[in-house]
Amino acid sequence: MKRGHCLLGFLVIVLSLQGCAFSRGTLGDEVQSEVVATIQKGTTTKEEVLHLLGAPDRLLALNGRDVFQYYRYDAKAGSLLLIILNFTRISIKSDDLFVILNRDGIVEDVISSKRTDGLKFRFWPFGD
Amino acid sequence: MISEWKAICSVFLAAFLGLSSHGCNVVRITLNTSIAPADVSFIVPGQTTFAEVVAKLGAPDSITASDTGIVATYRFLDVKYSRVNFGWLVKPWTPVDPDLIFSRTGLGVDAFEVLCDLKWVVSHQGFQRHFIRPPFHPYPFQQSRVSAPHELPPATGPVIMATHESGNRRPLFEPHE
Repeated sequence: MKRGHCLLGFLVIVLSLQGCAFSRGTLGDEVQSEVVATIQKGTTTKEEVLHLLGAPDRLLALNGRDVFQYYRYDAKAGSLLLIILNFTRISIKSDDLFVILNRDGIVEDVISSKRTDGLKFRFWPFGD
Repeated sequence: MISEWKAICSVFLAAFLGLSSHGCNVVRITLNTSIAPADVSFIVPGQTTFAEVVAKLGAPDSITASDTGIVATYRFLDVKYSRVNFGWLVKPWTPVDPDLIFSRTGLGVDAFEVLCDLKWVVSHQGFQRHFIRPPFHPYPFQQSRVSAPHELPPATGPVIMATHESGNRRPLFEPHE
């Protein structure tokens, strides 16, 4: 009797849980916070920014100023493959860095945010 | 002996039911963290600076130039997709692999835009699209839900707010009537 119940439970679990999958994708190089911290407003030059961070992903002209934009995307996908239902959740976050240069080629402002640090693998698609 | 037989029958029944409904998928894709109207209530046009916006919301996804200053855009996305394949129900009785698929994708795309003047002070702010969360349901024949007045986010000017003639229709009555 007990053996039958164990077998039943095992088969139900095996048949309902087909598998799970973890996937990840990234776009762009990681912008290191230590490197960004070395950029000083009013002193760091355009050449130094290029030396530290490389060529920007996007170059913008903003009312006479040059803006270097660096970005990185990180995506994590979790899939729960059941016989009855397949649940998949893909979470994508981005890191963005804007370096604003004045007309003399000196850094005027640095705007950055790192959202990918808290990115987790999630399976449940409902809720927040 | 009879109990074991019942247990085995139950397993096969469960397996059959499970296999017959295989093909149901629920997928959700999110890009960045959604921004709600409450998150941007601190912005006071003419007073709040762009630095204060960045301190609260982080760096925007894009900055573009305009005639009167700059436009910073925060993008976030919430896609919901659900699919049911009813063809699997008749699969055991047909030699072919039939498909009868109902699926629906809801794009809850939103963008929050901040327009700043040349002194980096916010002059306008607003959500680019209506702020509606799409539901999970695979039935594709139902018309999109009409935006309720309280679901529309406030905007401080008509410069950024887009008008949607399709998808979300205007309510038939005014909110305060």
